[in-house]
Amino acid sequence: MANNHEQSMFPFILGSLLLFLIGVIGTVLLPFYDASMQEPNINADARNYDFNTAEYRGRQIYIREGCHTCHTQYVRPVKADTALGPVTVPQDYYYDKPHLLGSVRTGSDLMWVGARWNEEWHRRHLLNPREMLPGSIMPRYDYLSDAELDDLITYLMSLKPASQAQGR
Amino acid sequence: MAADTGTIRAVKYFYYSSFIWLLIGMLVGLIVAIKYIAPDFLVWGPLGKFLSYGRIRPIHTNGVLFGWLSMAYVGGIFYVLPSLTRTPLSNPRLAVATGVLWNIFMVLAVVVLLLGYTTSIEYAELPLFMDVYVVILVALVIFISFRTIVNRNEKKLYVSIWYIMGSLLWLPLLYIVGNLPYRWIGGVPQANMAWFYGHNVIGLWFTTVGVGFIYFLLPKLTKNPLYSHKLSLIGFWTIATFYVWNGPHHLQNGPIPLWLMKAGVIPSVLLIIPVWTVLANVFGTMKGKWHVVADSIPLKFMIVGAIFYLITCLQGPFQSLMGPSAILKFTNWVIGHAHMPLFGAFSFVVFALMYYSLPKMTGKQIYSTSLMNWHFWLSTVGFLLFAFSMWVAGVLQGFAWAEGKQYGMQFVEVILALRPFSMIRAIGGGMMFIGQFIFVYNAIRSVRDGKPIPQQPTALIK
Repeated sequence: MANNHEQSMFPFILGSLLLFLIGVIGTVLLPFYDASMQEPNINADARNYDFNTAEYRGRQIYIREGCHTCHTQYVRPVKADTALGPVTVPQDYYYDKPHLLGSVRTGSDLMWVGARWNEEWHRRHLLNPREMLPGSIMPRYDYLSDAELDDLITYLMSLKPASQAQGR
Repeated sequence: MAADTGTIRAVKYFYYSSFIWLLIGMLVGLIVAIKYIAPDFLVWGPLGKFLSYGRIRPIHTNGVLFGWLSMAYVGGIFYVLPSLTRTPLSNPRLAVATGVLWNIFMVLAVVVLLLGYTTSIEYAELPLFMDVYVVILVALVIFISFRTIVNRNEKKLYVSIWYIMGSLLWLPLLYIVGNLPYRWIGGVPQANMAWFYGHNVIGLWFTTVGVGFIYFLLPKLTKNPLYSHKLSLIGFWTIATFYVWNGPHHLQNGPIPLWLMKAGVIPSVLLIIPVWTVLANVFGTMKGKWHVVADSIPLKFMIVGAIFYLITCLQGPFQSLMGPSAILKFTNWVIGHAHMPLFGAFSFVVFALMYYSLPKMTGKQIYSTSLMNWHFWLSTVGFLLFAFSMWVAGVLQGFAWAEGKQYGMQFVEVILALRPFSMIRAIGGGMMFIGQFIFVYNAIRSVRDGKPIPQQPTALIK
């Protein structure tokens, strides 16, 4: 049953690497050349925070505390996302480093959360989520310092469609 | 291969280390599950922040993926390769040193994550210097494994060896692609690369090594020759062809071009070919030997693991399709799905391999058959409770969102409605954890107090 091909490691190594490479080209490399990935839009500009601004620091706190483990930041053209705001496009994320798309909605989507509540709501909600939303299973963030809380809220409030951000 | 002390020491070191990370990783998983019911659980004063959900959730995933399953896999590879090549493991001392370095890496990972240093990329949370560390660890494993294969005394390369060779080549490459620093690449291309890695680390490391172990165990546990050599060959080349393309389906309906969604979903559906070759081989080889399952707990683990692998690969393509994804994506369903290949399928295969190989290495029988049985039933029933509660909860959640309950108090109403399912999930998780505790206890007792294996094993019924 064993033929000579199966005594040599070479075909397996070469074949494995070649097939892997084709997949990388198809799903990793080619997307870079898609027109939608090439340029930012006004939403991306609004999310392009300068280093060490309140929004920037707030985003770092969002990452440090693992908010992305429960909250997504993208709105799809599907029924389950109809109330969440404008459908998002690749251009929106042009400057997102790292991206915070997320993969699970243990909590609700935050792509445009800045257009949903005011600062006072966010503050009370972060300190004790169950005060604002009885039954919520979000952890309390009462251990953040006042400055950290301010930064985080500023970041959350900045998450709104650019057209609405102009008016405020 | 029982007399080779260097190999045995290396395998045992990796096995024992993986036990520790299995218990730690699953304990953290259980804590995370309890936080779905009681969000203030384990939140005490200033220490509370280190145990908050967002910080410990990656410790659960990294602990079970890289501490438990990957270390167990390396131990298994170091056992299977010498056995199939009839050659002692090359550089056994380096192998133990790799294990020590791996444990140091895991401890560092826990500390780093507790302190809140994270890249935020799922399954790639660790910062850059840790990524370089991983690549070095994998390079050491590759060096040892390939040297063993090159020095082999058995000319033929068995099926399991192809799978192990392929996986060891793919793992460092996909890890590098997924962990390139986000300072270079951001936005959607980064998300796409992260999911290329996130999916392929399952498909081209956890799946392919696990399938290699299935092909190793199948003839040994059934004492039947492998049903079809050709099928295993088809399985290997089809998984190598299709799996790499699966990443984009994680962003289904999301902000990626339509062509990319199609490029991700069509190969996902075609994955039915490799999974079916494995299952056909399992069932073909089992022919006439089904009665052995009643007495052999390792075989029970392997068969149930193979069936869970099949269900994973039926469920996965289904939920990656545009329609089902619109309902199931982001819900608890995905959590149920993600645990199936990693716990239900391939952890079970590893349990079978460990129960099979530990006595071979120590010359002692497994300490208690009834504890082995408890391990099997607690793991299986616990996992089924866990998985079904998550699947049902996910479907309910998805349809509730589609009705408009997408944020604020309406969203919380859905969470409240799902509370019973979260409780069942925690109970199932608790059973899984107790099962693993029994497993580790039994394994340690076997090495210390197991009865010696008689020289002439009593003949099995033919």
